[in-house]
Amino acid sequence: MSSIVAAKDLVKKFNGFTAVDGISFEIKEGECFGFLGPNGAGKTTTIRMIHCVSPKNSGELRVAGLDAGVDNRDIKRLLGVIPQELNLDEDLTTYENLVLYAGFFDIPRPEARERIMELLEFVELKAKMKNRITQLSTGMKRRLQIARALVNQPKLIIADEPTTGLDPQARHLIWQRLRELKKRGTTMVLTTQYMEEAEQLCDEIVIMHQGKIIRQGAPDQLIREEFGAEMIEVKDAKERVFRRPATLEDVFLKLTGRHLIE
Amino acid sequence: MNLSYRFYYVWRRNLAAYKRFVIPTLLISLGEPFFYLIAMGIGLGAYMGLFGGQSYIHFLASGLIVASAMLTSTFECLYDSYVRMVLEKIWDALIATPLLAEDIIAGDIVWGMFRGVISGFLMYLVAALLGVLPVSPSIVLTLFVLMVLIGILFGSLAMIVTSFAPSFDFFNYYTELVVSPIFFFSGVFFPLDKMPEWIKFIANLFPLTHAVVIARATFDNQLNSGHWLNLLAIVAPMAVAFYLALFFMKRRLIK
Repeated sequence: MSSIVAAKDLVKKFNGFTAVDGISFEIKEGECFGFLGPNGAGKTTTIRMIHCVSPKNSGELRVAGLDAGVDNRDIKRLLGVIPQELNLDEDLTTYENLVLYAGFFDIPRPEARERIMELLEFVELKAKMKNRITQLSTGMKRRLQIARALVNQPKLIIADEPTTGLDPQARHLIWQRLRELKKRGTTMVLTTQYMEEAEQLCDEIVIMHQGKIIRQGAPDQLIREEFGAEMIEVKDAKERVFRRPATLEDVFLKLTGRHLIE
Repeated sequence: MNLSYRFYYVWRRNLAAYKRFVIPTLLISLGEPFFYLIAMGIGLGAYMGLFGGQSYIHFLASGLIVASAMLTSTFECLYDSYVRMVLEKIWDALIATPLLAEDIIAGDIVWGMFRGVISGFLMYLVAALLGVLPVSPSIVLTLFVLMVLIGILFGSLAMIVTSFAPSFDFFNYYTELVVSPIFFFSGVFFPLDKMPEWIKFIANLFPLTHAVVIARATFDNQLNSGHWLNLLAIVAPMAVAFYLALFFMKRRLIK
């Protein structure tokens, strides 16, 4: 499989602080690639460099064969971004949001209309088509942001913590939609702080810590390498002992430490 | 700088979001010039002699038209742009599309200009309905060009201020210390020729002074080749301000 994103020794600094410290990775077509890491690990910064809103300081970054930082407009045309924060147009309706957004990609109106109806179906928001954004729940807004990211039929979807702040029902609905996209062969980049999310969705993950990639592999492979099949958990207060399968969360904590990162 | 036709999409987006507020804002925008002209033009004008052979309200209205374009585009590119950028995060959504920072900033400045032109024409409309100012296609066209230039100039200046603004409060420095003196000392409310030399000198640095001169000459049918210099005093700072607005705002957006 050919790679859609290729980074080599990528560095990003903010006023002397190194947010991304010489990372290299490759994202293959059709896979779901996850960036995991505690707050401030450099996940979002890396993603912002991929979708060309943050210029790199050094290293190489190619997206779909194009040079990030040079061919920004052409790269952005190929991407669908599901942002971490909600940034829908609150003054407009669900439908108007999508139509305007399609316009930014120079998609002709009739074609846009057709795609939008399909997408509204896909994210189960057809009934809310004429509602203003202020009338939608957070889960609906998140789903609308997914539909919005798909309007230009992107080659690569970038989802930056797509389920942060959602209740379990809404989260599972989003996971279901993202899995459906995966089934259709869409390439996805995902950042998340939820290990369960990464286990559910990702084929390949990197764990970032202090701007560096400290581990890479498939989720089950990482668990096996760090713990084997099972582990024993000791809750020290009452000296109770559990035997249970190891999870990605265990790997994450083992690698990035148990202390609070602020 | 990498500006493309896509700035038009930003203008269109702002228009779509604005649709809902058209009626209330039009009412407000019609009310303001009406009260201005009645209170100052007629009320104050009753105690004044003739200004160059014409009533005070005639003198005032022609200046207020361009001043109103200045104020509206200024406030649009201060408060409204700030809200779109920081609070509503609209720009974050725009920049994830083929739009670049330059398109977004230019689109917002053009939008501010557009609002300024509308508010200037509303002032004109009220003055014309009151029978204060004459109407002709050439006057409308000249005013349109003049207000487009003033709108881009003051929209850009405001955008520069916004690019440095940590919060809303920051805008007060600019509106009170820069925009207010321009508003009061550009010959909108009184002729500048009886002012001390140093005030005249400063007033001549204000682009609005030159816009007011052109607007008055337009209404009095006295435009001549000398007014090209007045036009230059608007266009030159406009070009510089527009460039700097793109530069500084891009620096804030792209990190």
